[in-house]
Amino acid sequence: MRLPRSLQGRLLVMVIGLVAGVWLVTSALTWLDVRHELDELLDSHLAQAASLLVVRQSGEIEDDSHGIDAPTLHRYAPKVAFQVFHEGRLAVRSSNAPAEPMLAFTGRVEDGFQTVTMSGATWRVFATHGGEQDVQVFVGEQAESRNAILWAVLRSALAPMLFALPLLALAAWWAVRRGVAPLKALGRALARREPQALQAVEVDGAPSEMTPMINALNSLFQRISELMASERRFTADAAHELRTPIAAIRTQAQVALAAIGNAERSHALQATLQGCDRATRLVEQLLVLSRLESGPAPALARVDLDAVVRQVVADLAPQALAKHQTIEVVATGPYPVQAHAMLLAVLVRNLVDNAIRYSPSDAQVRVGISSTNGGVRLSVEDSGPGMSEDDRKRLGERFFRVVGSGQSGSGLGWSIAQRIARAHKATLCVARSNSLGGLSVEVSLRTGLESPAGTPSGKSKGGQT
Amino acid sequence: MRILLAEDDPLLGDGLRAGLRQLGFLVDWVRDGDAAERELRAQPYAAAVLDLGLPLKDGMEVLAAIRREGITLPVLVLTARDALPDRIRGLDVGADDYVIKPVDLNELAARLRALVRRSHGQPQECLTAQDVVVDPAARTVTRGGIPVALSAREFDLLHALLLNAGRVLSREQLEQHLYSWGQEVESNAIEVHVHHLRRKLGNALIQTVRGVGYVLAGDVPRP
Repeated sequence: MRLPRSLQGRLLVMVIGLVAGVWLVTSALTWLDVRHELDELLDSHLAQAASLLVVRQSGEIEDDSHGIDAPTLHRYAPKVAFQVFHEGRLAVRSSNAPAEPMLAFTGRVEDGFQTVTMSGATWRVFATHGGEQDVQVFVGEQAESRNAILWAVLRSALAPMLFALPLLALAAWWAVRRGVAPLKALGRALARREPQALQAVEVDGAPSEMTPMINALNSLFQRISELMASERRFTADAAHELRTPIAAIRTQAQVALAAIGNAERSHALQATLQGCDRATRLVEQLLVLSRLESGPAPALARVDLDAVVRQVVADLAPQALAKHQTIEVVATGPYPVQAHAMLLAVLVRNLVDNAIRYSPSDAQVRVGISSTNGGVRLSVEDSGPGMSEDDRKRLGERFFRVVGSGQSGSGLGWSIAQRIARAHKATLCVARSNSLGGLSVEVSLRTGLESPAGTPSGKSKGGQT
Repeated sequence: MRILLAEDDPLLGDGLRAGLRQLGFLVDWVRDGDAAERELRAQPYAAAVLDLGLPLKDGMEVLAAIRREGITLPVLVLTARDALPDRIRGLDVGADDYVIKPVDLNELAARLRALVRRSHGQPQECLTAQDVVVDPAARTVTRGGIPVALSAREFDLLHALLLNAGRVLSREQLEQHLYSWGQEVESNAIEVHVHHLRRKLGNALIQTVRGVGYVLAGDVPRP
């Protein structure tokens, strides 16, 4: 049997079913018990009556009243019959007893009960005999009368239940309905919600069983609303960050148009180009960030960190040289790591670019790679001003920039570096550089697996899983 | 007209300073909120262009602080924050105008001129004294309908006197109106400019209050 889909229907069916089941089992047990007790009582009466008849017949052997009917004294008397045979002849019988012996016998009978059919009715017969086997007594009782008593007992016990069952069903329906009311209220409250409504749900009189569900729902709403708020903030911040370079480009272009001298025009045009570069970089960073945040996890492969670092430093060295900074790579590669080549390059570029950008002229920037226990560590250190504890904590907040740095960065580089590190299950650690005195950023990457399709190389320091 | 520009972005700040200079403004440029507040307290600027996202002190805080001190100069807020609540709050805190980036330089200059004009109770576009008419937008001066050529300093000096008609301006005050940071002020520069103005526009226009300064002669429309 399939349960109804509604909780209310299920509870109702189960409650009524259980009550009816218990009731049926109780009735069956009562029936068995009453029948057993009844059989014992009535059988003992039959046996008792039979022994009385034996005693009486033995004492009145000389009596001549053979075949005389005993009087009927009770309204149940027709349901009971007896016969007394003396030396093969019928001595006494009740008026409703046949002339033939209830149980056929030849000379002697065995004591005991038997069930026989006489003139269309079923009888329970007890047979016994006198001490010399000269007297045979049969006492019978209609089985139907026993069943009638049994049914009467059961009827009186069960009839109230039959009336009670519909009332019980009604009461159970009401109780269940009341019990599931908070659930329905919750369902209605959720159905009424606007998609943007993310405030906590409250259900009046919610039972304690519902509390975990409501709490879970509310915490889900909370997380979603935080996520949405952060997305909204991001969009607003991104628009803000784009507006400023665009405003700069527009203003500088206007200045160039209205410039009188060549030097002024050239300066304004240079600034216009710088503004374009900045807007482009910002858009690129936003795109990388949005891909990292919404796209699937990048597929990692075996990449030589050493080659990536050298390429990035080669690209950025002119920037450093223009500020009279020294930049060096300290590594004895190759260092295979598990990474996404493009993202790893972006990560390294962001770190090195930050070091160059936020360090003053004549500063020193050092990029180092070293093997660690089961991994590879990339470190980018500089001799710049470093960062205060508070600023270090706020690193990675989108668009956070250190005040007074005088640089036109967007503050997105760090967010991106962190996302990329997370995608590589790498840790990003910011501290004070011991050797150079400025900022030190360390990235711990996992060693690259030996590529199954690639040619196995001699340097098998990999093999980490 | 000397204005303060508070903008932290190097490229935009550089462009705005250059552009507003081309349009005849004297521009002092600060890059953080603390400096903006300090300069606004110290110097008699005709107006200020204030970015809201300033380092050290938010533009809105700067604005609220100077308004609390009773500094009433016109402030134009130039910002990327375009949400309605931001704009309303900006105007409520005491901004006189609220402009969203990016902005056209000519529009920005026109808005600044209008703000300055209104702050001096002068609703018309042109300022008039006797038979002299000054058009701050075109930076032209006519006397009896005939154009008169003035140098930039002479124009600024006349403009300042017209805006403060009926008020005596000291030599120091006029210098502050005429020179931005880093510009050399010769000791008798104001006297020389006044002398030139009198020669071009007639002796009766500017009166000297001996030991105090200069004031525009009467017959000037008062608000």
